Amino acid sequence: MTTKPEAIDSLWMPKETAGFWRRARSGFGYSPAVIILAGVLLILIVPPIIFLFQTSFYTTTFAGEFDKFTFGFYTELVTNPRFFNNFVNTTVYAVGSAAFAIALGTAQAWIVERTNTPFRQYMFLVAIISLGIPHVLYTIAWLLIMGKAGPVNDILRAITGAEEAVLNVYSMWGMILIEGVGFAPLAFLLLSSVFRSTDASFEEASMMSGAGISQTFRHITARLAMPGIMALMLLIFIRAFESFEVPALVGLAGGINVLTTDIYESIHMEMPPNYGQSGAFSVVLLLWVVVLLYWYNRLSRHAERFQTITGKGYRPRQMDLGKWRYLTAGLLVLLFLLIIGLPVSIVLWASLQPYYEGVTAGSLGRFTLDNYVEVFKAGSFRDSILNTLILGTATATAVVPFTALCAWLAVRRYKGGWFLDQMATMPLIFPAIVMGVAFLQVFLNMPFALYGTLLSVVIASVVREMPYGMRYSYAGLLQIHTELEEASAVSGAGEVGTFLRIVIPLVAPAMITCWLFLFLIAVRAVSMPILLVGPNSQIVAVTLFDLWENGQVTELAAMGMAWMALMTVVSCLFYIIVRRYRLSLH
Amino acid sequence: MIEIEDLKKQYVSDDGTPGGGIFGISFDVAEGELFTLLGPSGCGKTTTLRSIAGLELPERGRISLAGKDIYNSATRVSVPMYERDIGMVFQSYAIWPHMNVFENAAYPLKVSRTRNFSRKEIHEKVVEILEMVGLGEFIRRPSTQLSGGQQQRLALARALTREPRLLLLDEPLSNLDAQLREQMRVELKRLQQEWGVTTIYVTHDQSEALAISDRIAVMNEGLIAQIGTPKEIYNRPTSEFVAHFIGKTNLIHGDLAADATAGALAKVTTELGPLQCTFPAAVPATGNIAVVVRPESVVIAKQGGAEAGELSAVNRIAGVVRNEIYLGEIIEYMVATDNGTEIVVRTPPGKDIGKDDKVLMHFPPKNTVALIEK
Repeated sequence: MTTKPEAIDSLWMPKETAGFWRRARSGFGYSPAVIILAGVLLILIVPPIIFLFQTSFYTTTFAGEFDKFTFGFYTELVTNPRFFNNFVNTTVYAVGSAAFAIALGTAQAWIVERTNTPFRQYMFLVAIISLGIPHVLYTIAWLLIMGKAGPVNDILRAITGAEEAVLNVYSMWGMILIEGVGFAPLAFLLLSSVFRSTDASFEEASMMSGAGISQTFRHITARLAMPGIMALMLLIFIRAFESFEVPALVGLAGGINVLTTDIYESIHMEMPPNYGQSGAFSVVLLLWVVVLLYWYNRLSRHAERFQTITGKGYRPRQMDLGKWRYLTAGLLVLLFLLIIGLPVSIVLWASLQPYYEGVTAGSLGRFTLDNYVEVFKAGSFRDSILNTLILGTATATAVVPFTALCAWLAVRRYKGGWFLDQMATMPLIFPAIVMGVAFLQVFLNMPFALYGTLLSVVIASVVREMPYGMRYSYAGLLQIHTELEEASAVSGAGEVGTFLRIVIPLVAPAMITCWLFLFLIAVRAVSMPILLVGPNSQIVAVTLFDLWENGQVTELAAMGMAWMALMTVVSCLFYIIVRRYRLSLH
Repeated sequence: MIEIEDLKKQYVSDDGTPGGGIFGISFDVAEGELFTLLGPSGCGKTTTLRSIAGLELPERGRISLAGKDIYNSATRVSVPMYERDIGMVFQSYAIWPHMNVFENAAYPLKVSRTRNFSRKEIHEKVVEILEMVGLGEFIRRPSTQLSGGQQQRLALARALTREPRLLLLDEPLSNLDAQLREQMRVELKRLQQEWGVTTIYVTHDQSEALAISDRIAVMNEGLIAQIGTPKEIYNRPTSEFVAHFIGKTNLIHGDLAADATAGALAKVTTELGPLQCTFPAAVPATGNIAVVVRPESVVIAKQGGAEAGELSAVNRIAGVVRNEIYLGEIIEYMVATDNGTEIVVRTPPGKDIGKDDKVLMHFPPKNTVALIEK
């Protein structure tokens, strides 16, 4: 096997090196690839952590340099009753939106996976298209719908005859509702895989034991899905805990503060920015998320145990709902309206108005395309769209090959591979805004000018998305049986030849979807870039946020429409490839 | 006990192309009988079973259990699963991981709608049945800690706890390793006989079907090819498909000059010369006959040896041994006849015959079966 002259690696590197690769694998030392990758990971991940902790313990000069050591920021946290108040707010908000999202997601996943409801197959497309809508835009759309001058309040005023707005969306329930609907597609995607991986014969065995549909649902379906649902609920709770868009746009306006907005305010609303305070807040939030993630891991491992017992005769089964399927189809249409239909409609409406005054008959005669002209004209709007495309492309292109290599080394148990896996997954513990604070400190303290550049946003974004790339690649590579690679080795190919000719082609579809997925989530982020962007590195999500703060609703809407159109193309591409290669969505 | 009449169900794939299914299946199963549906994957055996269970809704036909229709497309009757009084063992066993052994087996009694069982009754019944299947000492064990064989026993116990009229077994042994499979095969048969429960068994393994069934229906492409006892199916196949599916066989093409009546012997002119053959069914004169001879039915003797002299002159064919395969309890010879046809012969070892020896073969007429070629 070593003598075959055509083997790619014997041309590519000298014999001793080839020997070194093999030796490295058999455990005498670390493969150079592992050492290089570990080095890169350490350079990317260690500085933000150090700077984050340092920030929380030092006062800063006006120029942003560290000054004196202090515990002051922490003692202020603990002694300030506002902090506990906000902590309670955060918890209520996160529990509420997780429960709401899970309720919507469970119903939707069950209908799509386990019944014969019409249109069910389109719900995946709906969920994936919703990935392309920036969360900021989505939140703004709901504020336009449910706000004081929105159509919902108009209708309620007409019904009740009240003078004032009947509903105040700038409240805790408003936050929960908007965030809950926003997370519903994610809950649906994750839960549909829970329902799919549960063997239908568990339910059939119950039916054959003499149980009816409702008994079967209570004793079997619900009980088997419960650990999975609980784990996902915790995951969404964590996501909501760290979320920024809804708290910033809805909560701040209604005087409801949560931890993430506290961090944002101590940097953006105070002059000079209170970096130390933001650092202390961030450290607390970070530690809390670590605890939650630990629970999540334990729960999801428990959930997997329930799913590994399926046997060979597995077959998916759809329940015939009879006439009830029109009701469930109605529910799916309603969900479509909530997730895409209504938000997009209101944004489209606003984008065609010269000035925004809600959905009124009077504004029907004032349709104009001026806002779109403004967006596509050379200038800050167009720059920000270009910047965002560069950000998404650069992030995904850097993360995918890097994590694929890390994942391969980890999956094939190279010495030190587990370390790469752990390190690349670690940024998951950083809430986005905390990572923003950490990288802000790194860039401010660089000897060369990095702060405010697009490159700095890309670097932070790469670290932020790395865990997703890692999980995605790891899962994809796990499915490639070792024997496929061993067959290549026996045929005379070396390590590199095998990787290039066997591994890469086999994982290519998964890598392409990974790229598109990372692109989509990198460009919709707000909370991290909002702390990092400068005047010349504006990106779409942050621009939308600023436009809303300035009250420029119509320009915002036009820009949002243009951006959604672009992202729909990307997400449809993602959907097509996933379908074509029958990849799992998560 | 159970009657199936003209059952039909066709699957259509997502893009609208018609897929597999069953296209008119009819059979009866008597009280206490173990009836097997045997066939290759995709032949419709599982669809038939699931239609009886009520897990699939057929398009037309009739299923009646103990004189009562549980499905009838003409009268639009479809009794829901929980009222059918049928127990079933799934291929994957479907042992619920969130319940222990006892809870799994007790479930059918707990959810029963026909009767409320007291805790004591449930306990007694379940313990009795778990002991019967050999799980008496594992009653409180979490079901996730059972081996494959134990899961299989538990699945059987669960199917039997409410004493169903009919037991359905969907490839119950296919998830076990070879040794355990043989052991469980014997045990299944013993339990079925002890319990006396009417059983329909689905499998693709012909030796399993031959070993445990009272009667077998061989299925192919959604239709029943032949129904009979294991012996009938093996020795008197009525079609080439059945002959090939049930064990190794020799197939010789030939012509029939005069009409043959069912059960009688008749002469078929084949490429090996004239052969006296048994006709399981009446066949009119045709040039399209397949003659089937099982390898172990062929009598073989070395040319010039003592045994060769005793060989009957009827259906006697000369050949040369091209290859021999030693299989332990039997030995298999590949014999090439003068015109080049290869005949497989199986015989107990001990004959003084080896590679390249000239041999004589005899096909006993009662085991030489003639069919119309399809």
